Amino acid sequence: MRRLSWILCGLLIISMQQALADPVADRAIAGAKAYIKAKNLKEPKLTVLLSSLYNNSFPDFAKKWEELTGVKMEIVPLGYTDIPAKIMQEGVAKTGVYDIFNDFPYTTPDAAGAKVVIPLDDYAKKYKPDFSGVADGLQFQQYYDGKLYIMVNDGDHLILALRKDLVENPQVRADYKAKFNKDLGCPDTMAEWAQQAAFFQTKAGDTRWGIKFEQPLYGALGYRSVNFSYRHFPVYMKGLLFDKDMKPRIGTPDGIAAIKAFAASVDHMPKDIQGWGTPQIYPFWASGQAYSAMSFPSIIGFANGNPKSVIKGKQIPCIIPGNVIDGKLVRRAPQAAGTGYMVSAYSKNPELAYLFIQWFTSPTVGDQAVAHPRGFWDPYRDEHVKNKAINDRFGADMVKTTIENSKYAASLLMIEGNYEYFKILDNNLADVMNKNISAEEAAKRIEAGWNRVTNDVGRDTQIRIWRKGVESGIYLDKF
Amino acid sequence: MAQISARAADLPSGRTAGQGAGRGLARWLASDRVFPKIPYVLVEGLIIVTILIPFILTIYISLLRWRANRPFETATFSGLSNYEVVLTDSLFWASVGRTFYFAGTAVAVELVVGFVLAMLVHQCTRSKKLYTTIILVPMMIVPIVVGYNFSMIYVDSGPLNQLLAPFLEPFGIDPRIRWLSHPVAAQFAIIIADIWQWTSLTFLIFLSGFSALPAQLINAARVMGATPWQIFWRIQFPLLKPAILIAVIIRSMEALKMFDPVVLLTFGGPGTSTQTVAYFLWEQVWVFNKFSFGAAASIVLLVMFSVFIYFGIYLLVSQRATVDRRAA
Repeated sequence: MRRLSWILCGLLIISMQQALADPVADRAIAGAKAYIKAKNLKEPKLTVLLSSLYNNSFPDFAKKWEELTGVKMEIVPLGYTDIPAKIMQEGVAKTGVYDIFNDFPYTTPDAAGAKVVIPLDDYAKKYKPDFSGVADGLQFQQYYDGKLYIMVNDGDHLILALRKDLVENPQVRADYKAKFNKDLGCPDTMAEWAQQAAFFQTKAGDTRWGIKFEQPLYGALGYRSVNFSYRHFPVYMKGLLFDKDMKPRIGTPDGIAAIKAFAASVDHMPKDIQGWGTPQIYPFWASGQAYSAMSFPSIIGFANGNPKSVIKGKQIPCIIPGNVIDGKLVRRAPQAAGTGYMVSAYSKNPELAYLFIQWFTSPTVGDQAVAHPRGFWDPYRDEHVKNKAINDRFGADMVKTTIENSKYAASLLMIEGNYEYFKILDNNLADVMNKNISAEEAAKRIEAGWNRVTNDVGRDTQIRIWRKGVESGIYLDKF
Repeated sequence: MAQISARAADLPSGRTAGQGAGRGLARWLASDRVFPKIPYVLVEGLIIVTILIPFILTIYISLLRWRANRPFETATFSGLSNYEVVLTDSLFWASVGRTFYFAGTAVAVELVVGFVLAMLVHQCTRSKKLYTTIILVPMMIVPIVVGYNFSMIYVDSGPLNQLLAPFLEPFGIDPRIRWLSHPVAAQFAIIIADIWQWTSLTFLIFLSGFSALPAQLINAARVMGATPWQIFWRIQFPLLKPAILIAVIIRSMEALKMFDPVVLLTFGGPGTSTQTVAYFLWEQVWVFNKFSFGAAASIVLLVMFSVFIYFGIYLLVSQRATVDRRAA
């Protein structure tokens, strides 16, 4: 397996050398060379604060950039939970240690507010990056307050995975059809997913459809822990989190119904789910103890590639289920984790930093990153469906579904103080899931908390940015 | 060689002047008037740079209206409004209460277990060093390793639940305890992790206390027919009171700052059920960027904990005075 990885890496490097036919990447390389010459830089260097997830893949691209331009790349890897604080510290300390920050798009509002990152529009105008084939919800989350701040190279929006072996089992299908008068398959709505989860929930020792379940089969898997619930909640919410004047919509019947549905979903998940993150959810899914999982797209690759997985080739990727609003099915796939690249306001060579980002996110190099065997970047451009290396890495089904799903990709809240809004939501959702408070009480508390943050950050600013974001299409829903 | 001599000859006046100034400074520093003050100046200087200036800055920031998601230049003076927000924040008070609860429970158990272990090891005639080394191991492990290990132990289907299953199942209790995701069980999970790691410290303090007990006093009591319980309760325990108080103060001071197990095991969750005040402050400042709020909360905590520690030191001093009086 390791040898195969090295061979793939070798092929990747060779293909990277052949990738210079991309005018976007070419412009970045030529621009970097011209910049170095114009500034007479002797030993040009860029320092990247990188999410440690990419520490086994990003250096291959850094090395290539160094070969192409002579710019030395220094990488400072850090756990993704610590990166926002590090960026804000740089905003206070202004050391100029970092040139490029790698983090989630929703770190941008605070970083832009603190003026620790710079708008990239002037550079983009000069060097012309390419965002073609990137769905609106993903593309527009690169902008904050109407300006380009972050360039994303990862389509980490939520998808649903089902167990193919169970869905295609004739006895299961017949049983489901008899019970619900509907064929079993990818659910269209969240209610249908909940119905399937309840149908498949099975105790250890039970025999169903001729299968003896030695271990319990859980109907569903999803992220329900602190720092993760907020990424999944928008799937349940019909419409936006706030109205036009930033009045929270969580206290409306839609909001309360969403809290109830979110909390009720844990009935069909492992008991410990509120303490689980990716290190627990991915192996559990691969162990075959669940019927469905709402997660990042890479869960399918994990379960197909993990040597201990018992569900290799037994997964069906589904586009995100939606909600019926005014008789119309509306789907929303939150961009829960995909990362991008920002330029530090205190970089000594911000233009050079931008040029690296343009090169790295260009169609050819960006595609190679997505296809990297040790990378964590997920498909996001339309043409990825036709890219052999990407299809080989993820499986054609998964790539096709992910790209189709990206049409429903919606950004998480992109306003200043968003981490505090998220935490207030998470804390109260946890209280409802633990049956400490009712959904109505949680809605009241969330509303009060969100209003407090809005007032603290500045209501006028928040309203202005919120409206601009909604109008740009990052949340897909409009007022 | 001739060239070097010539160059040296070029510089006589400057070098002589420099050497003269250096010698003058050395003589001044070595003088009876200055020399005794050098350590004082160094220590005080260090205190001013590392404690006083940051402390004054913290007070200053606590009086501003500033979130770090805006440049510091935009901060405005807001008087005591941050203190008002802190003192009326229910989450702040809940985390303070929870911290005292965690610290109180953990320290109480650590004291009892540490005391019993120290007493047993003190009585050992063989392998005393081996037992001491083994008991001290947890304290020497890096907290992040402890946190990681406990996160594995506490997993739903992990070893702790498997160990407990034979005892819980006969009573109809579900043996799959949600150690990290149930609001109450998660609190115990953190307390247990703290107890496991820091009982070693109370053990060490008590063992040194036992070792320092005057043997002749205990021998005399034994000769006079005192029972082991009487020796313990009338002689050893009163003499160990200062050690107990030191253990209480040192562990309480540390436990009130409990942060590592919270971050490593639960991230303060589920909900806010395991948020200690240290975690609360970290989140407010480094996640929510509320620097002014955090500074005001720090000052409030400083006052609260100072009162607590002052009370502890007062007890220690009065205990020492009582022991000295009895000895006299």
